[in-house]
Amino acid sequence: MLRPTSARTAVALLAAGAVLSGLTACGSDDGDSGGSGGALEVWTRSADAPAETYQKVFDAFTEETGIEIDYKPVVEFDTQIQGRAASRDLPDVFINDSGSLGTYQSQGWLTPVDRDSVTGGEDISDENWATTQGLDGDYYGIPFSRQAFVTVVRKDWRENLGLPVPETWEDLSALADAFATQDPDGNGQDDTFGMVVPGTTERGYLAWWASSYIWQGGGDFVTEGDDGTYESAFDSPGTVAAVEWIKEQFCTPGHVQPNALTSTTLESRQFNNGEAGIYLTGPYNLAAYDDQPGQDTYEVIPTPPGPEGTTMLAEGENIYLGAGSDKTDAQLKLAEFLISPEAQEIAMAADEASEPVVRLPVNSTVDAGQVRNDPRWELVQEQYDNDSRAFPSAINFTPIRQAVAEGLNALMADCGSDVEAGVAGISEDIDAELADQDLLP
Amino acid sequence: MTAPVTERPAAAPARPPGVRRRPFNWRRALTPWLFLAPGLLLALYFKFIPMIQGIRLSLHKVQPFLGDQWVGLDNYRTVLEDDRFREAFRHTLALGIGQTLGAIVVGFLLALLLEGQAKSLWIVRTAVFLPVITAIAVVGEIWRLLYLPTGDGFVNTLLGLVGIGPQPFLDSPDSALWSVMAVGVWIGAPYNMVIILAGLAGVERSLYEAAAVDGVSLLQRLRYITLPALRPALTIVLTLAAIRGLRIFTEVYVLTGGGPAGRTEVWMTRVFSLGFERNDIGVASAASMLLLAVTLVLTIAVRLLSRRADT
Repeated sequence: MLRPTSARTAVALLAAGAVLSGLTACGSDDGDSGGSGGALEVWTRSADAPAETYQKVFDAFTEETGIEIDYKPVVEFDTQIQGRAASRDLPDVFINDSGSLGTYQSQGWLTPVDRDSVTGGEDISDENWATTQGLDGDYYGIPFSRQAFVTVVRKDWRENLGLPVPETWEDLSALADAFATQDPDGNGQDDTFGMVVPGTTERGYLAWWASSYIWQGGGDFVTEGDDGTYESAFDSPGTVAAVEWIKEQFCTPGHVQPNALTSTTLESRQFNNGEAGIYLTGPYNLAAYDDQPGQDTYEVIPTPPGPEGTTMLAEGENIYLGAGSDKTDAQLKLAEFLISPEAQEIAMAADEASEPVVRLPVNSTVDAGQVRNDPRWELVQEQYDNDSRAFPSAINFTPIRQAVAEGLNALMADCGSDVEAGVAGISEDIDAELADQDLLP
Repeated sequence: MTAPVTERPAAAPARPPGVRRRPFNWRRALTPWLFLAPGLLLALYFKFIPMIQGIRLSLHKVQPFLGDQWVGLDNYRTVLEDDRFREAFRHTLALGIGQTLGAIVVGFLLALLLEGQAKSLWIVRTAVFLPVITAIAVVGEIWRLLYLPTGDGFVNTLLGLVGIGPQPFLDSPDSALWSVMAVGVWIGAPYNMVIILAGLAGVERSLYEAAAVDGVSLLQRLRYITLPALRPALTIVLTLAAIRGLRIFTEVYVLTGGGPAGRTEVWMTRVFSLGFERNDIGVASAASMLLLAVTLVLTIAVRLLSRRADT
């Protein structure tokens, strides 16, 4: 039955199979194909616009040192890097939220940094260095950029309706109501909303957005004990007051955009599109807002104080040196370049319309006010210096933020929900998570 | 986290009667395996090795850079005791059953409507089939736009024409699961339609004629002739739908991400969020393995049931 031709075909097929298996075997063994001779692989969590700015910084680095950089901006950063970690092949350097430090460090992803040996490290303040300390007190990253969140408001809408700049939570709520009901853009249609809220549980976005209001209301997430232990501080009258206020926004028609509960930040473009007029957000969006809805149409307002103050979420990016990299010299060189005044200024992208990736410089010799000469950024700087708070970065805060977002999302989805019970429930979840991390006293 | 493998019908080796036993022929025995080799190799690398890895991960606390810790069945216990997983399982079942039934009913109606030889029907059938060949992620994004909860959203505009006010669809915990289900039916129905159309083509015409002579009603004709003749087709559709229903992920992830208030969270979105948002690969793997086991049991059960029904 078996004719020579079909035998040959069979052998050819088998050979093809063998080649394929060889290839895949190579693929899995040769994970660190970057090798010691190759380019330095760098990841940032960026969409296209900030990636352009990063590329400029890295080009300047290559020009100065001759070290090639293989730069990858990754939007789905958290999931993608997880995959790379699973194959024990992290990028050599990655830049991401300072709040992720505890998460990364608890999994052994980061190479510790000897603070004193970092050239230019003395130009970074102790407070900024402190955000890169792990639970053991060692430094696991190098600060790159800092920022405080701010509130942006459609100035033209506000003036059309003859309303003042909001100075309290009640004012803010009333402004949202006016934007929703009084046709602020004057087009005769009921097509505008008050606030933009990225309220999905994905990446814990809702907790991110709500944190400033929770602190302004007098609430908090966790407290650190003297002996390095942590416990939930969520269940307090302050948190309840803040969550009540947030819920009032969600449950009054028009105060927040309609699909808020399932929107990520990328999907929350109602401020850009002229559909909503208030947004508590990071200052990195200002460049995009200058373009749309337009520089003259909106304003950055001083934070309207809640019952307990004007605290805003502070965030920032750190430079992380991936564990298992064989390019330790180049890693450190890149980090040192990134905190130099030259790189920080390029990354601030002051003279162009591109998006800044250094929002507030960490290098104290850079005078941000002079570089930018923009009163809105001065407001950001003031907020950061005087009244801002960051999530604890030493512990693995990601699951806690996730738990808070999930709990809040459920409370907001049901306008008949019992806020006190909900807040108590979230607090229990936080404690359970801390217990998992062996951090409860 | 491997996707459950779809089963493959086993080839039944049969010697034609009357052939005398010959000395064992190695070449003859090897040939089928040679032809199978490329497929098997692909399956080995992309299905079986990842699956075995998945089993290994599910028994460890996974931390690639610190060394994995053996935790035995702890991860499985965590999954089975987790309320969120139970909730997700309920949603998965509800979606699976709802989408399967919905897609079969709609697919059946479409098939009845579009059965025939005319050119125009051919074009309509192609148009109706489009959702099946479109990437689910794209379908999801489009439906997110169609479902826009404001008055100027597409579906809400249509509802407005008949005097129904704007519905929240994906954004209300009460309607989110139904909205996701409707999209699932929309995606699944045309596929079922094609299989049922093939089944309809095989129905003996003379039966219809005999029935017409006996003067049966349309409903009786459906009940006593069409449906029994379609049983093999429906079995296939049901098996495929059961498997697909359990591992539903893309639609939900794109449409709602499991929200609002976790009301549309299904097994695989929970696995995804544990594995990639909470970095808990071990528990996520354990949950995937459980899903694999359930899928296997279900597939075997459907096959046994349908075999019994056939004999």
